[in-house]
Formats: sequence, C-alpha cells, structure tokens
Amino acid sequence: MEYVLHLAILICIYTILAQSLSLVAGYSGQMSLAHAGFYGIGAYVTALLSVNYDSSLLINLPVAMLLSGIIALLISALAVRAIDDFFIFITLGIQIVIYSIMNNWQDVTNGPLGIPDIPPFTIFGFTFNSKLSFLLLAALFAAVVWFLISNITKSPFGRILRALSEDEIYTKSLGKNVVRAKVISFVISAMIASLAGVIYAHYVSYIDPSSFTIDESIFILCIVIIGGMHNLRGVFYAASLLVLLPEFFRFIGLPSTIAANMRQIFYGIALIIVIYNNTARRIDHVKVLEQGIRR
Amino acid sequence: MLQIVLNIIVLSIVYALIAISFRVTQGVLRFFNIAHAIVLTLGGYLVYEMTIQCAWPLSLAVLASILITVLLMLLIDHFLYRPLRLRNAANWQLMLVSLGLYVLLQNIVSLIWGDSTLSFRFWEIKEGHMFYGLYINDLEIVTVCSGFLLLCLFWLFIEKTNVGMKIKAVSSNYELSSILAISEENAVKWSVGIGTALATCAGILIAADTDLSPTLGFNWLLYAIVVIIISGMGKIRHILLGALLLATFQHLVAYYLDSKWMNSVAYIILIIFLFFCPSGISRKRIKKVDL
Repeated sequence: MEYVLHLAILICIYTILAQSLSLVAGYSGQMSLAHAGFYGIGAYVTALLSVNYDSSLLINLPVAMLLSGIIALLISALAVRAIDDFFIFITLGIQIVIYSIMNNWQDVTNGPLGIPDIPPFTIFGFTFNSKLSFLLLAALFAAVVWFLISNITKSPFGRILRALSEDEIYTKSLGKNVVRAKVISFVISAMIASLAGVIYAHYVSYIDPSSFTIDESIFILCIVIIGGMHNLRGVFYAASLLVLLPEFFRFIGLPSTIAANMRQIFYGIALIIVIYNNTARRIDHVKVLEQGIRR
Repeated sequence: MLQIVLNIIVLSIVYALIAISFRVTQGVLRFFNIAHAIVLTLGGYLVYEMTIQCAWPLSLAVLASILITVLLMLLIDHFLYRPLRLRNAANWQLMLVSLGLYVLLQNIVSLIWGDSTLSFRFWEIKEGHMFYGLYINDLEIVTVCSGFLLLCLFWLFIEKTNVGMKIKAVSSNYELSSILAISEENAVKWSVGIGTALATCAGILIAADTDLSPTLGFNWLLYAIVVIIISGMGKIRHILLGALLLATFQHLVAYYLDSKWMNSVAYIILIIFLFFCPSGISRKRIKKVDL
C-alpha cells in the first residue's frame, strides 16, 4: 500500500512537470530540453535553505520559484533569438550547464554526494509525515497547477501562444508581441517546474544531481509528446503510464539491470512512433512536382 | 605553456573531424541529427569487439566497423528519415525523432556491451617522446596525422568531385538544386555515407585515447554542434577556426580554473556567441537565429 502511494505521489510530481512543459513545448511551440534543470533548481534551493538556514517553507517556496523565474528570464531572453532545432540545442546546452553547476560547485551543492536530511514538508506547523498526507498535498498542488495552466491556455494570452506556435510571422503581423509571449510562457513554465522540485526535495529528503540530468529532461518531453501537445488531460495520462511502466517491467520479471535500459528503449521507440504519426500526410503540390524531379 | 598549445592542436583536430562529419550530413538533411552520436560510440565498440573478442588485425577491424556503421546509417536514413522528409516533417520533429533513435541505440549498445568502461588498447602505454621539452605520445601523433589526412581527403572530395559539388549545391539551396535536376536523395545518401565514415574514424581515435563507455558519443557530438554553431554554419576553414577557438577556451579554463568546468565552458561560449555575434565566425546570415 505504501508503495502504491509512493507511485501516486510520483505521478502527481511528473504531472506538474509535464503540464508546465506543455505550456512551452505544446502551446507556444518551443521544445525545451532544459526542464529538468529548473526542476533541479527548485529542489536545490529549498534543500539548501532548509538544511543550512532552517528556514520555513513559506520563504523557501517563493525564493525557489523566483530564482528559477529569474534564471529562466535571462535564458529565454537569449534563447528566443533561435528557433526550431537551434532552440532545442540551446536549451540542451543550458540543461548541461545547470547540471554541471550542481555536480561541480562542491562548496555549495556538495557535488555528486548530494544533500541528505532534508526536513519533511511543514507548513503552518503541520508536518506532512505520512505518505497519505503527502499524497493529498501533492495532489492539491497538481490540481492547482492544472487549473492554472488550463486557464492560462484559454485566456487571450493562451490564444497568442497557440497562434505563434503555428505561424510566428503571421502572429507578429497581427500586432502581437511574439517575443514577450514566448519569454513569459517560458518563465511561468520554469517557475512551475521549480515548484515540482520543491515538492520532490521534501518528499525524498535526499537529492543529488543524478535526478536532474538530460535524461530526465528527455523523459519529461517524452511525456508531453506522448500525451499530446495541446492536451493537459492527455499529459496526465501519459505521466501515469510512463511512471507505472517500470513497475510493469518488474511485474513481467525483467532483472533490474536490464529494466532501466528497457525503459529508455521504450521511451525512444515511443518518441519515434508518436512523432512519426503526428506528421501529417499532407498533399503538397509543390512537393509532388519535386518528387517527380527526384525520380 | 607550449605543452598546452600542443594539446589544443590535438583536441581541435578531433573536434574539427567530428564537426565536419556532422556538418556534411546536417547541411543536406537540414536538421541536427543527434543519432550521429551513436556512430562515434559504435565505431569504438565494433573495433573493440573485432580486435579483442575476435582477434582480427586492427586495420581490418577499422575498415569493417566503418562499413557496418555506414550501412546502419544509410538504412536509418532510408527507412526513417526519408519517409519523414516526404511527409514534410518539421525540423524539430526530425530532430526529436533522431534524439529518440539515439536513446534507443545507445541503450542497445549498453545492453550488449554493458555500462562499464572497456578498452581495446592492446599496445603498451609508453612514455611520450620528447621534442624540445614537449611530450607527445604515439597515439597523439597518429590522431593528428590521420585527422589531418582525413580532412584533406574530405576537402578534395567536396571541392573536386562531381558528387561533392552536388552535396554543396543541395546544402546551400535544395529548392534551386532540384530545379537544376540535382537529385536530393542521392546527395543525402552520399553525404550520410561520407559523414558517417568520418565520424567512425573520429570515434575510433577517441576510443583509443579515452576508453569506451556508451555515452561517449553524445558529449563529443554536443561539442561538435557547439563548434558548428559558433563557426556560423560556414565552410571548412570556419569550422577549423571554431574548433581551435573552443579547444583553446577549454584548455585555458582547465589550466586556470579546473578541468571539471571544461564541459560547461563550451556552452557558455555558445551563449556568448549567440548573444554578441549570432551569425558566427563565417558571418553568414541564417534564418534560424534572428528576430
């Protein structure tokens, strides 16, 4: 039973992460691979503050979200200059820089050894010690985030995001500030990702850089792509599926050494198949002519 | 200090080799083919398998592994990328497909050969030769010489042969070249073949120096992409300059700060370039980095 609760908490955390990424990757069409970095910033800020200064969560949570937002603002002011596959590569680079700082700045982050003994989630004197109470907390956060993002995407601002993901230049010609919309959506998404990091750090009570690698970023992007780019409910189902998948592999009796690889192989295949099916079979008349020439 | 200059030259030759092998496929395919990284890894592992496990001579093993990787990438291009191209897939979709493919193949490699580091170094590690107070070992000499030779051969191929000119034509303007009846598919096949062969050679040279692990290819490919972006998607000489610049910065950081920051300094250079000089060394305007 404890284990089922643990899985449910993980599903909540990954739903928050993937839905916040879907605001950037799905609605505004910027495939970001830096999401695990912001998740890690949230986790590290709250862990360092509560271990070193014993500060309360009412301070940690805003500080983590604000710091992550500021870093996202700086990064996105730069990264919006690039589009398409260049943007993906730049966010990948940023992810590696953030990971490298967590791993190498040993005076502050304790390097690969990680930060142990993070106190449990305590707010207004109530400590979320048991798994069940923590699940309720995580589910509450997930619901708030879901509500928030679905409202953002239905608002006029959400319509600008949708429009620019389809045709950026056309949206610009309608007098909408495309760059500002991109930056704002990136910052909001990074702040929500750091919220997930805060929850994660207080839940597992021990964090190290290996939870925030590029593989984690690919995993979160995989959830968004499998769940559907403009579909928050689909993202939730995909998060549940991909979190429960390793359990399925364990159930059919794969040894744990192979299971990790099999999981990643599954993500890879899923990514290929889903994108392959997403590419529309459009009849493009210029392309038909071109194919005649190619033969 | 001269020793650092020597190390920079060795490193930048390797960077240039990978960057050019990636650039020739990227120009024609028009997206960042992340699956190129697995070629670097696989080249090393295949040589390991053939020399250590099957006791083949090294030259035969190198040739066979080049053949296998080229065949693999051509098959991938034919059965995965070509249908996507015909379906008008966007660049980011193709890049994510190649990322998924990389994850798939890298995990297959680590299932077959395991995650621990392997080495196909059957020669003894000797102390390097001394030249005027500089140490250089045999492997570095081999790396520099063969890297230089491969770059010259590649330059001759791309500038002097008919196929090379067609690759250049397609990568500079594929619409115009299809009007001139230059087959895009042929150009793609040739450039993928040449690029993969070069990358396999680079992968074997790296593996001989630093030993094998399944994630070897990814890190080196990322450096190569940084080199390509700071060189501004330019010609071979721009890529050489970019490789030299990146290797210099990395070695200076390793010398003055710590070698653990070599990884992140590459991206910091990338960010600096994108901010102050988005068109890179070649100053060629590309549509992807503007606004």
